[in-house]
Amino acid sequence: MGDMKKRKLPGNLYDPRLRFDYENREHGTVPTDTTREPFKWVSAVAYKNVHRIVARGYDTTELVEAGYGFADMIFVDFQARIPLIEESQMLNYILILSLEDGLSSPAAISRIVAKSNVYLTQSAGASILAFGHAYGAFSAFGNMLNKYLIMVEKGKKDESQAIDEMIEENREKEYFGISDLMLKDPAAKRIFERAKKLGVARKYIPFMEKVVKRAKEVIPNPVDLDMLGGIGAAMMDLGFTPEATWAIIAVTRSYGAGAHWLEEVERESFLKYGETLTPKEDYDGPEERPVPSLEERSKIAKPFKAETLEEWMRKREELKKLYGSGHSIVEEIEDPRKLKEKK
Amino acid sequence: MGREPFFRRKSSISYKTEEKTVVRGYDLSELAEKGYTFCDALFILFQGRIPTEAEEKMLEYEMAEFLEHSMSPSAASAIAVISGRPMLPAAVAAGVMTFGSAHGPGAAHGYMMNKYLERALKEGKSIDEIARICVDEYLDAGRPIMGFGQPQHTDGDPRAEPTHIKQEELKVDGVYLKFQRALEKHFYARREREGRKYVAVNMIGAGNTVLADLGFSPNAAWCIGTLTRGYSCAAHALYTMKKGRAWAASKNEPMVQMLDLSMIKYVGPEDRPVPTQEERQEYAKKQLEEGEYKKWVI
Repeated sequence: MGDMKKRKLPGNLYDPRLRFDYENREHGTVPTDTTREPFKWVSAVAYKNVHRIVARGYDTTELVEAGYGFADMIFVDFQARIPLIEESQMLNYILILSLEDGLSSPAAISRIVAKSNVYLTQSAGASILAFGHAYGAFSAFGNMLNKYLIMVEKGKKDESQAIDEMIEENREKEYFGISDLMLKDPAAKRIFERAKKLGVARKYIPFMEKVVKRAKEVIPNPVDLDMLGGIGAAMMDLGFTPEATWAIIAVTRSYGAGAHWLEEVERESFLKYGETLTPKEDYDGPEERPVPSLEERSKIAKPFKAETLEEWMRKREELKKLYGSGHSIVEEIEDPRKLKEKK
Repeated sequence: MGREPFFRRKSSISYKTEEKTVVRGYDLSELAEKGYTFCDALFILFQGRIPTEAEEKMLEYEMAEFLEHSMSPSAASAIAVISGRPMLPAAVAAGVMTFGSAHGPGAAHGYMMNKYLERALKEGKSIDEIARICVDEYLDAGRPIMGFGQPQHTDGDPRAEPTHIKQEELKVDGVYLKFQRALEKHFYARREREGRKYVAVNMIGAGNTVLADLGFSPNAAWCIGTLTRGYSCAAHALYTMKKGRAWAASKNEPMVQMLDLSMIKYVGPEDRPVPTQEERQEYAKKQLEEGEYKKWVI
């Protein structure tokens, strides 16, 4: 750094509004901070040393040597406990059901990605990304269920009021867990039956059963428990949080997505860049127009900059008509006026 | 399947025939032939229009300065992922996907600005007044205001103020910069009044304001910001792939590696014996009843 010669800085870097002196900024990296503990990867889930891998206090080699299985290990990692045999059996039941769902989003995206000739892991990873707050919405479902159950447990609402409120506020949501998807398929209802048989239907399944019963009375179209509601409630009765459920089921589904990658590669062809056409008849954007020369640009280009709020709103309204601009999407952010003060 | 589309649906973004690819009415090849830039094309893609030269220059400035930020969560993700030696895109995707509510929350900052500017219009308030209200409402609720503070550049992000100044120099400073400037004025004043330390505007406050004044919607702006950083995530991953050790735990390297065993600090349950299958059911029942495990559940 010693031979750095002082040169005049470019552009606006002497502007008095700058927050510090840009000409005399220090060079080089920040020295090691020896006043604090050196960096460590902090974890309460697991550690390992040269000879041992320990998850939640249990040596994992000893666990498997002692006959514990894959489902047991999921309990250990996410809940720091050895599950009852019945809990382990129930988790296995759910994992099997979660493995495959036909050519739904995770499998479809896995196959699309496979067409690019990628590692299987990229397709499987893409399938995990397909789990959101509509498809595979286990986090949204579980948090919804918790919200109304907590109302009852804290005595804020009686059970029937909480159930009615849950139905009223969520019946149109993709994560409701009750829909017309499983009217002919008994798989979702069987999850609850199995949980009861195994003695692991604790509070979520009985509550959800009451919600389903009431939903059938108040929703005019035929509805029933669906797979999201069945798996979600059962997983929570096994002690998994909504977020843990979301992750566990998404990863379980990705095995199926891996099979879709295999079949796509075995049966279909790869795609070349630029190969796929998008027919003109499917296009409804601006009419074809000549590209102006760079000399003509200043005559036709109109800036977005708005000087007044009225002008700003008018320009945004105009852009809302253009699909793909994003101007007509409004995402809710927290309203600080409705938040309790955080100290 | 040959050249048939994978899915069929209406689109106002583009179409592609055997002859050409047309985006928002403009032939992409013709745009390139006539000397337009990638930044120009981003205006066409997200806004369906050719930008002014000043707007294009501003976007070039913003994207170029945002592209690299050394050790940030996104770069760390890319580096960590490539240590397993997947295909490079997996590491780049992980880097891009690291952007969220704490690291580069561009869309949320945009929605906050829109919400308060809409309120100003509806309630007949000036931009300066609504900025003060925004500061007070967030700080009264004990919430951070998006666009301020960066844990590494504790004296202020060196890119932020120059970005504001460049926006003014290029005369692409619209209602958003007016709002952001007013937000900063009221935020600094209130913290000073309360005797709290200075927290400077960050690159969301500066860069996202630019993108908003250039006409990009909150999510389009977020898309531009995060994907621009994707390039440097790729560079960090590629450097690690070519020059670094796979697995990042080798004892033969002169420096302690990222995944060296000594890097682990374990704070979980004490080591404990594994119960036999004969003991299991009683053991599991006791564990369930005592409930001590609950403090470890995630």
